[in-house]
Amino acid sequence: MSAKNSVNISFSVNGENFDDVTVPTRQHLADYLRSQGLTGTHLGCEQGACGACTIEMDGVAVRSCLVLASQANGSSITTVEGFDDEVMQKVKNNFLKHNAFQCGFCSPGMLMTTKEIISSKKKLSRDEIRSEISGNYCRCTGYQSIVDAIEETINEIN
Amino acid sequence: MKAPDFSYFEAQNIEDAIKYKSEDDEAVILAGGQSLLPALNMRLSSPSCLIDISKINNLNEIKIEGDFINIGALATHSDVMNNDLVHEKLPCLVDILKMVAHAAIRNKGTHGGSIAYGDPAAELPAFAVAMNAEIVLSGLSGQRIVNAKDFYLGLFETDLKSDEILIAIRYPLLDVNQHLIFDEVCRRHGDYAMAGLMAKVELDQSKINNLDLVYFATGDKPNVGQNTAKLVIDDGYDYEKLKKSLASEIDFAGDLNSSSEMKLHLATILINKILNKLER
Ligand SMILES: Cc1cc2nc3c(=O)[nH]c(=O)nc-3n(C[C@H](O)[C@H](O)[C@H](O)COP(=O)(O)OP(=O)(O)OC[C@H]3O[C@@H](n4cnc5c(N)ncnc54)[C@H](O)[C@@H]3O)c2cc1C
Repeated sequence: MSAKNSVNISFSVNGENFDDVTVPTRQHLADYLRSQGLTGTHLGCEQGACGACTIEMDGVAVRSCLVLASQANGSSITTVEGFDDEVMQKVKNNFLKHNAFQCGFCSPGMLMTTKEIISSKKKLSRDEIRSEISGNYCRCTGYQSIVDAIEETINEIN
Repeated sequence: MKAPDFSYFEAQNIEDAIKYKSEDDEAVILAGGQSLLPALNMRLSSPSCLIDISKINNLNEIKIEGDFINIGALATHSDVMNNDLVHEKLPCLVDILKMVAHAAIRNKGTHGGSIAYGDPAAELPAFAVAMNAEIVLSGLSGQRIVNAKDFYLGLFETDLKSDEILIAIRYPLLDVNQHLIFDEVCRRHGDYAMAGLMAKVELDQSKINNLDLVYFATGDKPNVGQNTAKLVIDDGYDYEKLKKSLASEIDFAGDLNSSSEMKLHLATILINKILNKLER
């Protein structure tokens, strides 16, 4: 039984394996990903409130600032860089069409949250969409265009 | 900001975690990390070691045991919200959890973590007190059960001993004439409340027979409004009278979002909101 200040972990990010990499125990996952050039994951508040660092871990959305890199051992991670299937292409097109990207800071988190929302395949009202993205701050759009883009994607895929 | 340095120990079973914790006073348990990691990132806490219990098997089970529904400490808020037994036996908990943070946080944050942390603004500790829940703790000398009413001692202070780990929460199942009704006032959906109320109501036809009022985001811990509940049963809703009673039995503490006077006002009108919900 021993505790250490760094640990060796293995996991995959966007299908690429990271085998037996050494991470400091105090490092959160967002910082580790960014240190590997995966800078699509943004850091805003580092206390879970802003949502910019949202990623997918073992199939569900999580805040990567509130997960230690050491806790990712054995997991499978998708970041915004791994957003390439047909449905996610639709999401990106609709975000472009409705001008839902402005400064772009919140966009990675918004896209990851959208991924989780549309994976439930539920038809959501605009109010429900607003409540689903209530954990992601955007300081440019006033959310209107983001709700438009998500709504249109939901209509397209259902 | 970034977390201070600490070491990390991944516990494979409860015994390991208890042993480790009992040997190091400054080590803390890491469950979902959704309260602990913000505190570390903000440098509000500097433990020597994090004992990660999140990989321990079978601590996330949700099951019926006699007249109780038993929720394992590591069940995440999302696990609880998606569980069929909870939907069937304790549906109010699903509605309450919708008010706890946001989906990405609920995917990691655990039921036991919220109960053990005892944030006075959190929904679950007040829920556990209102439901008269039993909290199951495990330590060097075995298991013990503490009633939620006796578990919360003060601001982030609980009856959890330094060698103990919370392993489950047992909620007594409600009878058909018992209802758990809740409401809260908050600025943004998913944020901590400015004031909230868990009310356990026992009805005889449409008359209130018994009432427990437990507040959150009002003081240092889940605050019980015992005398006020009696007044409600006897005389119904009278703003001035109930406000005076609440002021005399709860020590309201203001925060960034709302002063103590405002919390007292919200606590009073929440009673009316609950009574209106009951009529529907
Ligand atoms: C942006 C944001 C908004 C939030 N909003 C709300 C909200 O509106 N309402 C709400 O109630 N909560 C809210 N939360 C907190 C969330 O519900 C947490 O998940 C929960 O309070 C703690 O659970 P955890 O598993 O993450 O615990 P951790 O963060 O892992 O641990 C919290 C504390 O409890 C101790 N602990 C955890 N598990 C155990 C155990 N089994 N035995 C002994 N000790 C243990 C730890 O040592 C630590 O001190 C929010 C969090 C964030 C980041």
